[in-house]
Amino acid sequence: MPTATLTVRDGLVAPWAEWERRYTTGRRLLEAGTYALTEGAIAAGCRVFAGYPITPATDIAEYMSRRLPQVGGYYMQCEDELAGMHTCAGASLGGLKAMTATSGPGYTLMHDAYGWALTNEIPMVVVDAMRVGPISGITGAPGQGEFYVARYCTHGGNFETIVLSPSSVQEAFWLTIDAFNLAERFRTPVTILTDQVVSDMWEDLFIPADYDGLDFVVPRKSNLMMPFFPVGSAALDVPPNIIGRGTGVCVSAYTHTEEGYDIEEMEAQWAQSYRLVNKIRFHRAELTRYETVGMEDAEVVAVAYGANARTVKTAVLEARRRGLRAGFVRPITLWPFLDDLFERDCHYVVCELNYDGQLVREVMRAAPDKRKVHFMGKSAELHTVAEVTTALQGVSGSGRIPELPYIWTEVR
Amino acid sequence: MNKLAQKYLRPSQIPTKACHGCGIGMIENWLLQAIDELGLKQDDVVFGTGIGCVGRQTFATWGGDNFGATHGRAVAVATGLKLAQPDKKFLIVVGDGDAASIGTSHLIHAARRNLGVTVICEDNMGYESTGGQFSPTTPAGYVTNSSPYGMVEPPFDPCDVVQAAGATFVAETTATQWHQTVKIVKKALQNDGFSFVHVRFPCNENFGAYALGTRDTLKNLEWIYEHTQGRKADGSETDFTWETGIKHDASNSRPEFSRLLRDLGERVRARMAAGDGQGAH
Amino acid sequence: MALFKTEKKAPRGPAGKWDVVVSEEMCKACGFCLHICPTDVFGWRKVTNRLGWFPIYTAHEEHCVGCMLCYQICPDFCIDVAPRAGGMN
Repeated sequence: MPTATLTVRDGLVAPWAEWERRYTTGRRLLEAGTYALTEGAIAAGCRVFAGYPITPATDIAEYMSRRLPQVGGYYMQCEDELAGMHTCAGASLGGLKAMTATSGPGYTLMHDAYGWALTNEIPMVVVDAMRVGPISGITGAPGQGEFYVARYCTHGGNFETIVLSPSSVQEAFWLTIDAFNLAERFRTPVTILTDQVVSDMWEDLFIPADYDGLDFVVPRKSNLMMPFFPVGSAALDVPPNIIGRGTGVCVSAYTHTEEGYDIEEMEAQWAQSYRLVNKIRFHRAELTRYETVGMEDAEVVAVAYGANARTVKTAVLEARRRGLRAGFVRPITLWPFLDDLFERDCHYVVCELNYDGQLVREVMRAAPDKRKVHFMGKSAELHTVAEVTTALQGVSGSGRIPELPYIWTEVR
Repeated sequence: MNKLAQKYLRPSQIPTKACHGCGIGMIENWLLQAIDELGLKQDDVVFGTGIGCVGRQTFATWGGDNFGATHGRAVAVATGLKLAQPDKKFLIVVGDGDAASIGTSHLIHAARRNLGVTVICEDNMGYESTGGQFSPTTPAGYVTNSSPYGMVEPPFDPCDVVQAAGATFVAETTATQWHQTVKIVKKALQNDGFSFVHVRFPCNENFGAYALGTRDTLKNLEWIYEHTQGRKADGSETDFTWETGIKHDASNSRPEFSRLLRDLGERVRARMAAGDGQGAH
Repeated sequence: MALFKTEKKAPRGPAGKWDVVVSEEMCKACGFCLHICPTDVFGWRKVTNRLGWFPIYTAHEEHCVGCMLCYQICPDFCIDVAPRAGGMN
């Protein structure tokens, strides 16, 4: 049941393109990305936040501690990130939508709980505000080092993950609602991979007046009967299981049967893997979110996500103004990776905030000719418009990125 | 299957995967007696476990809702569940690895918050499902598979830790004290706050075999009994004694954690309704 | 189980008024019941059950005094002791 191939079109392809048109009454604010993430969660019906303070995600915790008691929710500051995400998973299992927020060092601690929530198909949202690393690195500088970590956020394989990445404060608001919707529909934890710039940046933000009137929010439903785990099926929109309603559901860390009993048989493992992988793979069309510019005639396409997509997009527009046939691709859904965006046979310049090259490897895999995929890595600060324009011109002219200070181009 | 097991457990999951002579089933039988004497139904209790012998052998045996968390995190998951389902009784049955080693931080912070769950730490004095390594509750000097020359680390008593952290009910028993255990678990379940019950039980396949030198189920249970009483059959004193009984009982003396959070929300919303500026943000 | 057996006292009723049921297919043959019983109610089977153990069975139900020690100590939920219908008066 593979999905039809995508026809790439210019502009923003995301559900909130339509939401923005329909909801126009509300407040216009100057606010931070962390505020938008918080309000998006509240608007989506999040009623539990459990986390541990960490720069640059701390502000989400602070906003949540103020907002959640106002709307009948619970804010918890846990002893560590492990407890934070497990508490969120527990709350979601009890019937409340839940979210946690952290940065790289806390995100690695959450893998334990992430795997537990993923195996047991517990909907929840994790925000990872990436900073430069490894480990603590520089707490106040942006990074994009968790591209693969977010995909393989737990051990053992046999699963697919959903990862979204906003690049503006306004988008962070809509995208958070979308993340909660996807979590409910796919019964899986959804990661929002933001970064220090998008989280801490202040921008104009539109917030709809009445959260209750948002008809696109997927409400929490409860699965009250067998099968609790439709192993061997890729069905979407199965209501999540609830503990505390006397359904007799069993939820565990082990490979499970339909009832949730632990089992040590290969057939059960195959059936569980089929569900965890294919419920996302078969419904990739539901997960397509991206933004493109100039893809109809592009010879060289700049690829970026998150904060630096903003400067990269400006550079592409500047390059086009100078007569270059440049294009721009910003995947918003990072995982499952949107291979179809890179079907065009042209040069790709992948700009990301790390020196090791992560997104570029996936683009190399997806693009028709990997020799035409170029890496433009920068660490701890955004690409400048001048740098990207120079690189686009270089690739367009000589087929390679000219030498630029503090830019790494080697992947292998 | 006895009548209580028929009433409360899942017939498809009994007999459990426990080795012969393992004390986990005994203790679960006593938990059922306590639950039955309190008049609780299957739907009133959520049964949580961790990983290891105790997690694996008790998971999904309870007839109501079950969860088996990752290693040590049962209390953390229960924290979230308690927020969502404050009216349920949470019976968290974990091993000594879960409670005293990998999950100690969750345990002591749940005790500090006075979270309304009852944690039963079933302690077989080692990591027996992985083949018999020592744990933080293995008595000093005893031989295990990872302390072949005798355990050099001193053990600690998890009861002292949770009591210091603020638990409102703390008790210790062993697998030879059924009436006391039933009585204690009843009290623990009646406490609307954090209750901790530490129960030691015999392991024949690993702790018995390596530390005590025998897989004889009867000798291993006798060893537990001797160390509960402090003397051996020949009248001599044992090398150490476990002090059993209720160690700290301040039941219902502090507000329960999820109630605190609910009350906070109600205060905030009342202030908003009264026009306090807190609401507008 | 010398010390354990001699020290564990439980209330006893008159003998012969109790039903002792052992779920033999669930028994893992730890032998706790057989050794703690003060009146030698139990015995070993000579054939294995489906778990592969030689299970305990009720050999002398008429000896039972209803002390419930076996019920309390059985780790596999196998034993049920109940007053015989009409037997307690």
